[in-house]
Amino acid sequence: MPSTGMPPTIQCLLIDDDQDDQEIFIMCLESLSDHISCLAKSDGAEAIELFNAHIGYVPDYIFLDVNMPKMNGIECLRLLKNIDRLKSTKIFMYSTISEGDTLSESVKLGAEDFIVKPTKAADLKNRLAAIFKTID
Amino acid sequence: MENFVSPGKSQLNGKIDLYQRMIEEIQDYAILLLDTNGIIQNWNRGAEKIQGYQEDDIIGKHFSIFYLQEDIDTHLPQKLMEEAYGSGRVAQEGWRQRNDGTRFWGSITITALHDDDGNVIGFSEVTRDLTDKKLFEDKLRMSEERYHQMVAEVQDYAIILLSATGVIENWNAGAESIKGYKSEDVLGKNFQIFYPQEDRERGLPEILLTEAREKGKAMHEGWRIRKDGSKFWGTIVITALHNKKGDVIGFSKVTRDLTDKKLSEDKLAAYTAELEVQNSELEQFAYVASHDLQEPLRKIQTFAGLIRERFDDKEFVERYFEKLDASAKRMSELIRSLLNYSRLSKERNELMNESVDLNVILKNVKQDFELMIEEKQAVIVSDPLPTIAGHPLQLGQLFSNLVSNALKFSPSEAKVTLRYSKMPKKQIHDAPYQLNEEYYHCITVEDNGIGFEQQYSKLIFSLFQRLHGKQDYAGTGIGLALCKKIAENHNGFITATSEAGKGAKFSVYLPVSLLA
Repeated sequence: MPSTGMPPTIQCLLIDDDQDDQEIFIMCLESLSDHISCLAKSDGAEAIELFNAHIGYVPDYIFLDVNMPKMNGIECLRLLKNIDRLKSTKIFMYSTISEGDTLSESVKLGAEDFIVKPTKAADLKNRLAAIFKTID
Repeated sequence: MENFVSPGKSQLNGKIDLYQRMIEEIQDYAILLLDTNGIIQNWNRGAEKIQGYQEDDIIGKHFSIFYLQEDIDTHLPQKLMEEAYGSGRVAQEGWRQRNDGTRFWGSITITALHDDDGNVIGFSEVTRDLTDKKLFEDKLRMSEERYHQMVAEVQDYAIILLSATGVIENWNAGAESIKGYKSEDVLGKNFQIFYPQEDRERGLPEILLTEAREKGKAMHEGWRIRKDGSKFWGTIVITALHNKKGDVIGFSKVTRDLTDKKLSEDKLAAYTAELEVQNSELEQFAYVASHDLQEPLRKIQTFAGLIRERFDDKEFVERYFEKLDASAKRMSELIRSLLNYSRLSKERNELMNESVDLNVILKNVKQDFELMIEEKQAVIVSDPLPTIAGHPLQLGQLFSNLVSNALKFSPSEAKVTLRYSKMPKKQIHDAPYQLNEEYYHCITVEDNGIGFEQQYSKLIFSLFQRLHGKQDYAGTGIGLALCKKIAENHNGFITATSEAGKGAKFSVYLPVSLLA
């Protein structure tokens, strides 16, 4: 990211069909830092459309729900991994349960890790903080 | 022999003597000289050996001495002599008896002897002992007779002799009992009459004959047709029959009726397949139940935590209490739907034979959705529907889900159209499996709603599968999975066709044998 003198803004994209989960995720993310921005899309197809429509858009992180209508998270991950400019974007799966097949399939397709949606907002906050710290 | 040799021809005497010796020494043939009355005049060594008399015992006796009493009673010796007298020669085979009373099978030729003027002056009788050959032939014939009898009377196998072109030439009792035809019904007909129409059309009988011709034999298992049109599961072996040159001169066809075995195998396979389906449904059920029930539960916990954190922010607390409430409602809705779905699986084996008038079912469904119909200014039109044998509650649920889906995904002024037709299976092109029944009730429910892309036409029947976001359209994602199960419980199926934005059409096919 180019230096502007200001701390660089971390750009995140959340793809999740659940409005409540979107709200909680963004709430947790924004509480971590003022330099994190997050865009949310409600399904895989919408996200792919976004990348097709805005060819300059390259988020640093993508958080991807697994169970979504129309295009599920695994299918979406496969398509995202085919977009050249997203090569350095870290993609995390983000789902209610982590089931063996889905977990291994997502790792095989190049997901960084699998985040199980926690029952406490604080746990999600900690998990996200750890991710940004470790990777940065 | 001096009676028959002219003594005047002395130059021939040497040769005649030699000739006479030759006759006398021959051991394998009894050669006798008879006078015109049948009295034995001369006798060779062969006669002695075959018939067991010494020359002294037999010269001067009538040749009928060798014949059995029953042949003498029927005047066989005289008849033979008369025929030899008239025709010059007679040949006969039959039992004769030796001096010691034992019998031998003689092949006899009696030839009339003539003088220079053509008068019969006596007879030669040449006898060969063919007892061994006769006994062997008798044994062979008996064995063949027994074999034919065995083939003819075998009941469990249809054994048929076919010509080289497949024409039925012989037919046993087993064939009659397995195939139901009398032999006079089928002799002369081609064996393909036993094959179902579709096998005849694809040339199966000819394929099997060709295989048998080329490889020596052909084996096959499949459905065959009895005379009364009923089917049986036959396992067959066709074997090519060859002449000494190696040409195929026909075929033997052995058929066994294994219908009972086949049916029990099919039943076992169907049972196994059903168990597999149930197993995989159970796995899917456990997965979706854990996922979809986990979701609202997790949210309730998260919302409760957030409320605790920001308890003083009244507006926040109000909003999150509402969310908490909504999640709890969704949870209870899911549990109710899941129970409903699992009950359907349990009801699968219940008798589906109550008479159900689908017009009444539709009328009740319209009443249930009165409010929604009014709100959406919807119109529901329907063809007259049939009365079928089924499970009234399940069929009610099926119609309720299809109609509510049509209303839910339609704009205001929704139009829901139900069409009915009785369709032959040949006209049904989107069945998920090979259809067994000849005719199906086809009931379609069509709307003018948002529809879906055709690629999702199978996916939408999966448990908890949603094509639209929860915020846009309410629902648990169980409705269509339920419709699929109900159709299957009635031995039918359901299909969906649509184009995004152009409405959806759901077709329910139920076998006509369910007619009440």
